[in-house]
Amino acid sequence: MPKHVKITDIGKNPGQQLTHVNLADLLPLPPPYDKLDEQPKWAKIKPEHKEKLECTLDDTIAVGFPRPKTKEEEQELVDKFLSGLEKLLTRENNWTFLQPLLLTLEHCAKCQTCNDACPIYTASGKNDVYRPTYRSEVWRRIVGKYLKPGGKFFGKFTSGDIELNWTTVSRLMELSYRCTLCRRCAQTCPIGVDNGLITHELRKVFSQEMGIAPREIHEKGSVQQLTVGSSTGMTPLVVKDNIEFIDEDMYDRTGIKYETPWDKKGADILLIHNAGEILAWPENPGAFAIILEAAGMSWTMSSEKVGYDGINYGLWYDDFQLARVALKHAEIAKKLGVKKIVMGECGHAHKAIQVIADRVYQGEYNIPRESAMTLLEDIVFSGKIKFDPAKNDFPVTLHDPCNMVRLMGIVEPQRRILRYLCPQFREMTPHGVENYCCGGGSGFAIMSGHNFQDWRLSVSGRMKLKQVLEAFDDYPGPEQKKYLCAPCSNCKGQLRDLFGYYNVWEKSRIQYGGLVELIVNAMVDVKGEFIEWEFH
Amino acid sequence: MTYLHILTYASVAVFVVAIVVRAVRLATTPVHLRWELYPVAHEKDRVRYGGSYFEELDWWTKKREKSMLGELKVMIPEILLQKGLWENNRSMWLWSLLMHNGLYLVIGFAGLAIIGALAGTATEFGSLIKQVAYIVGLIGYIIGVIGTAGLFVLRIGSYRLRSFSPPVAYFNLLFLLALFATGTYLFAVGNEPVDAIAGFAHELITFSPNAVPAGIGGLHLTIAMLFVLYLPFTHMTHFFTKYFTYHAVRWNDEPNLPGSKLEKAIQRQLGYPVSWAAPHLKADGKKNWADIALDTGEDK
Repeated sequence: MPKHVKITDIGKNPGQQLTHVNLADLLPLPPPYDKLDEQPKWAKIKPEHKEKLECTLDDTIAVGFPRPKTKEEEQELVDKFLSGLEKLLTRENNWTFLQPLLLTLEHCAKCQTCNDACPIYTASGKNDVYRPTYRSEVWRRIVGKYLKPGGKFFGKFTSGDIELNWTTVSRLMELSYRCTLCRRCAQTCPIGVDNGLITHELRKVFSQEMGIAPREIHEKGSVQQLTVGSSTGMTPLVVKDNIEFIDEDMYDRTGIKYETPWDKKGADILLIHNAGEILAWPENPGAFAIILEAAGMSWTMSSEKVGYDGINYGLWYDDFQLARVALKHAEIAKKLGVKKIVMGECGHAHKAIQVIADRVYQGEYNIPRESAMTLLEDIVFSGKIKFDPAKNDFPVTLHDPCNMVRLMGIVEPQRRILRYLCPQFREMTPHGVENYCCGGGSGFAIMSGHNFQDWRLSVSGRMKLKQVLEAFDDYPGPEQKKYLCAPCSNCKGQLRDLFGYYNVWEKSRIQYGGLVELIVNAMVDVKGEFIEWEFH
Repeated sequence: MTYLHILTYASVAVFVVAIVVRAVRLATTPVHLRWELYPVAHEKDRVRYGGSYFEELDWWTKKREKSMLGELKVMIPEILLQKGLWENNRSMWLWSLLMHNGLYLVIGFAGLAIIGALAGTATEFGSLIKQVAYIVGLIGYIIGVIGTAGLFVLRIGSYRLRSFSPPVAYFNLLFLLALFATGTYLFAVGNEPVDAIAGFAHELITFSPNAVPAGIGGLHLTIAMLFVLYLPFTHMTHFFTKYFTYHAVRWNDEPNLPGSKLEKAIQRQLGYPVSWAAPHLKADGKKNWADIALDTGEDK
């Protein structure tokens, strides 16, 4: 059992670590992953990093903010943080989330009902610091004491004690990156309070006021996407080259010839993938193209900067970065004159463009947006393509990406496809809107600096791994090949890392992949197997 | 006019004004970005599994079917049976159920006492109301004591709750416990509790203040009125803000369709000046939200 940590501890003992993650405390995994001495060992934070970077929360680093050199610098940062919190509570600066934020600020009953819903808290062996209420209580107490009228006198009584200093702020900064924003906690709150929202809003304070965010999601993420065209670093020329290669490769693998259409004005559909698919799982955009061509759809991809990458990392940390990318997507669609934008298999990109940015789009920018799940369901059941479900006769389970399912309500289309095309489809427990996050949500899947990967694979991804293994507990060993369908690029990134970390392919022969790969695998016109049964 | 009469008028007035102000404040906050959580209760058939209209091909061309009954189907069991706690926090459920329902019954008791006072106890109707009020009040106060005491013990006894509880969390429970306990005692001493409350209510309604009810009745009413005065300034206002947390946030899936009122409201908000200080935003307190969102920095 991890040592208890009080809320007031967050501002105490500067320079010392607030809590530790011990492998022995973590949620046990099913056999053969249950042996403690066989669990992957964590890389230690290098002494030079420990010295230079803020890392006194737990045993890892997500943000990696340089330690201030003087007390004055520290105080300046604390003041900035407080001014950011203040702006968070104003109409002008935060109209985007003010109402939900005020409701969450003022109505938590401290009943801790949300705690057990959190896969991170549960998987950590119930470490207090990872409770969904820890960071939100710290935030409420700071607001109560430092921002509310009379807080200096009554804050301790009404909100609880807290000391706002650089130690508090720096730990809170790291702590805002120990939650995947899956919002499972919010789902259980009887009052409707959303402690997940606090994570989101805290990240905004750090980014929008203090200019602090993990390099992977800001500088290498949304900034690179807006300037180069994609967070992968692919320029328009490179992406067209890569897709051309994929088109050829698909022909070799399936015998189906097609050419991905680029910048086709007036096409019905602008298809936007998470560009990571093009580099890491080229069979996914390839399978999409095969399906759309076979169904005779009018579609195109865009080779304009940002238009070929559906990711929108601003969703996790910065409203303006979110809006900037979302508006670029809409502008490109408008120029092409497409009827709708269809987002490929990427959960956060789905939610960013369809839900969160929905109210940012105005006038002609408000182009209809749709999920690939819906379009694929329509195609699969339209009779335009012939399928042989026997080609998919192996155990299949489905991971529900939080953004697409719990946060958008796209639950059944992908299931109807799987029930039809995969004779051995089985659900995980729990599933649908009650699913567990893959552990890579809110940017974690692309964050591996220092030893953060150890944390996200040991702690935040632990519950998902357990769930996947249990879904296949009738075939636990490597004798039977099994398929985990994860229609989300970020989730796949996390699952790839999880499976590699725990040797899941060798021990259990579970392959992970998207939905379109299973659809193409079942196509009668596709020769042989489309799914490659080797770990990648 | 006694202190209790003044306190009651003042408490009710403050309560009403504070609740209205709070509700108006919440209702007039800007339209926020969507932040719904599924299942969304007004989805008609798809609510069974948490589905949304996004599951339909070309959803924007279809008529959206909403069922307000669906929202009630979720809210009523939540309010009356504490369904969320039953499902997710069983150790707290019974105590919370008793405390909340105790409160509902005590409010019902007060309402019935007022009706009884207006009807007059000499009439058959008045007499019936008095009998019903007695039963409602007695049950309400007793289960209120049990529930609140249970919650207090649970909060003190459980590390998980105690460690994250500010002093006010205990104060609120003790306040409620005092309210329920004095009410229970009022019934226990047998001094016609309904008459005491009804009589006091009659004096208030007819603006003919008399004396403070003797003994425990006066104390109980004083505590009750202080509680009414205090409640609008606490998290206990969730009794009405739940409408916002659920209806306006968790279930708010209203799409921003071209030409809609929603679109116009957002258009105004996009004109709000922004003063965030991070360099990548280049906000100066004059540039508005839209200016900053449209500045991608790619040409510089």
